[in-house]
Order: sequence, then structure tokens, then C-alpha cells
Amino acid sequence: MKILSVSTATNHLSVAINEGSKVLVEANEEDQRNHSEHLDPLIDQLLKQTQLKLADIDRFAVAIGPGSYTGLRIGITTIKMFASILNKECAGVSTLAALAANVAAKDKLVVSLIDARNDNFFAGAYLNGENVIADGHYAFDRLLAAIKQVEADRKLPLVFVGSGLDKIKDRLDQSKLDYEFGQADQNQPHAGEIGRLAEHIEPVDPDQLLPRYLRRTQAEVDWHKKTGQPYGPDSAYVEEV
Amino acid sequence: MSKEKDVRILAYESSCDETSTAVIKNGREIESLIVATQIKSHQRFGGVVPEVASRHHIEVISQITKEALAEAKVTWNDLDAIAVTSGPGLVGALLIGVSAAKAASMATGLPLIGVDHIMGHIMAAQLKDEIAYPALALQVSGGHTEIVLLKDPVHFEIIGDTRDDAAGEAYDKIGRVLGVNYPAGKTIDAWAHQGKDTFHFPRAMMEEDNYDFSFSGLKSAFINTCHHADQIHEKLDKYDLAASFQAAVVDVLADKTIRAIKEYQPKTFIMGGGVAANQGLRERMSAEIAKLPDAVKPKVILPELKLCGDNAAMIGAAAYNLYRDGQFSDLTLNADPSMELPYADSMLN
Ligand SMILES: [Zn+2]
Repeated sequence: MKILSVSTATNHLSVAINEGSKVLVEANEEDQRNHSEHLDPLIDQLLKQTQLKLADIDRFAVAIGPGSYTGLRIGITTIKMFASILNKECAGVSTLAALAANVAAKDKLVVSLIDARNDNFFAGAYLNGENVIADGHYAFDRLLAAIKQVEADRKLPLVFVGSGLDKIKDRLDQSKLDYEFGQADQNQPHAGEIGRLAEHIEPVDPDQLLPRYLRRTQAEVDWHKKTGQPYGPDSAYVEEV
Repeated sequence: MSKEKDVRILAYESSCDETSTAVIKNGREIESLIVATQIKSHQRFGGVVPEVASRHHIEVISQITKEALAEAKVTWNDLDAIAVTSGPGLVGALLIGVSAAKAASMATGLPLIGVDHIMGHIMAAQLKDEIAYPALALQVSGGHTEIVLLKDPVHFEIIGDTRDDAAGEAYDKIGRVLGVNYPAGKTIDAWAHQGKDTFHFPRAMMEEDNYDFSFSGLKSAFINTCHHADQIHEKLDKYDLAASFQAAVVDVLADKTIRAIKEYQPKTFIMGGGVAANQGLRERMSAEIAKLPDAVKPKVILPELKLCGDNAAMIGAAAYNLYRDGQFSDLTLNADPSMELPYADSMLN
């Protein structure tokens, strides 16, 4: 099965084509703030390198969140349109699961982080691929408490990967946890790993492939607080006229 | 002579709070038009919240692509190009249409055409009637108030622009003062027809020898009048307030536009944009143009009411002209939130 995968969830752009679990080709652009301009040409380049056409791809995969809201939507819109038009499968992979997959070693608790500012992180912890601290939006103290709870039982070596690591170093040192930080290359999502993960998950209808923001917009939160009204499904707010 | 081949364009528009797709034949005929509006969502907040808008756009984009093809009874093989609004607008919102259109172009091999949203609004007229050039357009919406000279179907120049608020923006702001939910234009227009211009708000820049507008002074005068009445517990007639506001807006727009028509002598006069649906403005412009001497009287095209707001049909119409002119985009096409039509040389001095 040929899988084309992308990540636009962070400032790092990654595209890969896998054959089954084998990464045929992967390209990464660091510190790239203009995914819209670069994504399609990069996909085009990898297709040419592998002498494949989009129509040869069996499954399209994408980092579905959390991450930069605008970034996520560029990758997800692209992937959902490919799958929808070409009648192919598509799958969304947690950005945090993809980050955790950068650590190949077994039996380590891998904590994936995406800095969400103000001491908040989009984070999740993974043990041998299993999400043991659920992907979510955490104040760091709350995340640290959850990690300590897992560690109290299992005493696993800890690896932190992702962004904002320098902001938590002091507190981790004080916590007396036995931990290490990921190497540079492990701190960004890689499309090749997204492809590997996507191979084993249930594909979804392209129309249903949507970002997992893990946070409501501030406007909605304020409105909910002010009016006490329930958020309601998003579909209730959009109508065809 | 053999008949020219039909050109079918699938168009996307997602610059603000409407997600829309359309299939347009030969730049003139709407074979399908799908508009998914988010108004209900943004009404919770009293105006468009950009992040919420982007979230809604991605929810429907692939679905309404299929619907546009189905309604037009065409497949991807029947299409000749894919068009999309690339700016101006909300960047996150624009990016959904741009990403979708580029992906569609890659997946199908069809050429891609990035379209200026304002050029689209003006070209809603082409869906109603044939435009003779040169033409002159009054483009009025929530984001823009411009007089645009159309030299031909693809060369547009701004000859007049607002220095501050757009006319539609002023409507929304005074609507808030009157307790009218966004978007306020339609209600204010209806109220205006039931009231009289009793407040005589200022007509900014009317006497100036240019085609520029300013609406912030009018907006302030309106708000001050209401606040002052509040303080002395006086109740003002909302219909007269609406009528007075609208009269000031329409006076300025009509005066400057008629002067521009006299100077440039266009063969066609067009109105475009959300405020082009305003009955007061439509009636006034038609009446003023009817008064012009036959030698300078342009043909008038007021777009269908449902095509005044944001929609993909107008983008498909404009894209057809670009297609005929050979103006295509490549895969690096990006959203440009502050995209602008070029200004006429006379405005740059
Ligand atoms: Zn518009």
C-alpha cells in the first residue's frame, strides 16, 4: 500500500511517501512559516522523485492535530481533497502520536509536547505507541502531576519530545524524575512516521477528516460563559442557502 | 466557422463567512452554485470571528465540491479550470479555498486560476448581462468602498477608495448601536424606507475634487447623536435614524459615482458587493443615471440580489476572463489577505 503523508501541524513541513511501513522518500523543511506556498510543490517533487502520480497513491495521511490551527487546516484540506477527488482512503494521525513515534526505543514513557504559550502545552504521553496520558491541552503543572502518577506505578525512563522543552527544564530537574529530551530530529513530526501509523488505523470518509484542535476558540468560550448556552454541534451553525 | 468550445470552471470562494462552490459555463451561465453560510455562528459574537470562520470552512469544503459538480451534472472531466479567491479577505479563511483548489488542480491536472475577490464581486454583473467596455463599477461591501474603472474584462483600476471605514462596515457599526444583529445592512435598509432624513448627518468629502470616500465621521456623528439622546433620556425614532444614516451614505456614493461617470463616460455602469443589494442605493443610482443626457448614459447592470453577497459564481465569472487572457496560477499560489486591485495613475500622485 502506497501512502502519501504530510505534516503542516508545526513550523516544520514534512512530506513522505511510504510503501507499507517502508519510507520510500521523505522531505522536510525546517522553520517554514509558509506551508501554503511550499506544501504542493514539495508533494509534486516527491511524486516526481518516486515516479508516481497522485492516482497511484492508495491512502492519504495527515497530522490531524493538535498544532497550529492554520497550519493544520492547510495539510488537512489538501489531503481530504486528494482523497475525495481520487476516491482513495484517508487517515488522520495525532500529531503527538507522530512525535512519540520519533523515539524508537521500547518501554519508555514518551511525552510529546507542542508549546501553546503561557505555560500551556498540547501534550500526550505514549508507551510503546499507546496513548497513556490522553492528548489534550494542559497547564504544565497539571501535565507534570499526570506524569508523576504514571511514573509512581511504572518507573519508566522518560523522554520529552516536541517544542518548548527549554521552558520546562528547570521544573523537571527539580521534580527528581529521571528524564531526557529528544534529539533535534525527534522534536518535529515526520511524515514518514505518520505514514507508518496511518497504515494501521481505520480510514475515514474525507468529508469527516477534520482537525483535532483540542481547544475551542476564545470567542466560543467567552460566549458560553456569558450566555450559559451549550456549544452545540458545529453543523448547527452552517447552513446551505 | 466552428463554434468555440465551451469553457467550464469550478470556482471556490471562502474569504469571509461563506463557503461557496460553483460551476460556471463561459463566464456567463451558472450551472451550479452552492453557498454554505456561517451567519448563525457569528451572530453569537456580533461579528465574524476569523478562527471560527476558518473552522467552519474546512467542515464543508469537500462536501460542497461534490455538490457543485452534482448540481451541474458534470464530472471533473467536463471541467477546464479550477478558480479560487486568493484575496483579499481573512487569511485563515482564504487558505481553505486556496488549499482545496490547489489540491483539486493537482489531483485532476486542471489549470488553476487565482482570482481577486473584488474583481469577482464586480463580475457578478457578467452573470446577468453582457458588459460593454470601458465600464465603471461602484463596489460597496463590508470591507470595501471603491469606484473601479474596467478598461477591459481583466484590466481594472481603482479611481476612488474609502479613506477609513467601508460603507458596509459603517452599517454594521451603527446597527450595533440600534441593537440590530450583524449583518445589519438589510434591516437598516428596510427601516430607512419607513423613516425620513430628519437628522441631516454630515456628507464627508462631498465637495472634494476626487472620488474618495470617508464614513468614519458619519459613523461618529450617528453614535454621538444616539449617546446624547440616551443621556437626556430622549427616545429617538429608529426609522428616522436609519433613514438619515442611509441618506448620507447614499448621497455621497451617488454624487461621487455620477461625477466619475461624467468624467470617464463608461459604456456600462455596474454595482457590486454586499451593499449593492441595498434597495435605497439601487433606486438612487438608477434614478441618477436615468437623469443623465443620452450621450453619456451608460447601460446599468445591478447584479442579482443573491449574487451581491460572497459567492463562488462571481469568482467563476471573473476566472473565465482570466482564462481567456491566459492568466493562470501555479502551485505556489497563496492567500493574500491584503490583495488590492491596482490604483489608477491619477490616484498615485
Ligand atoms: Zn465580499
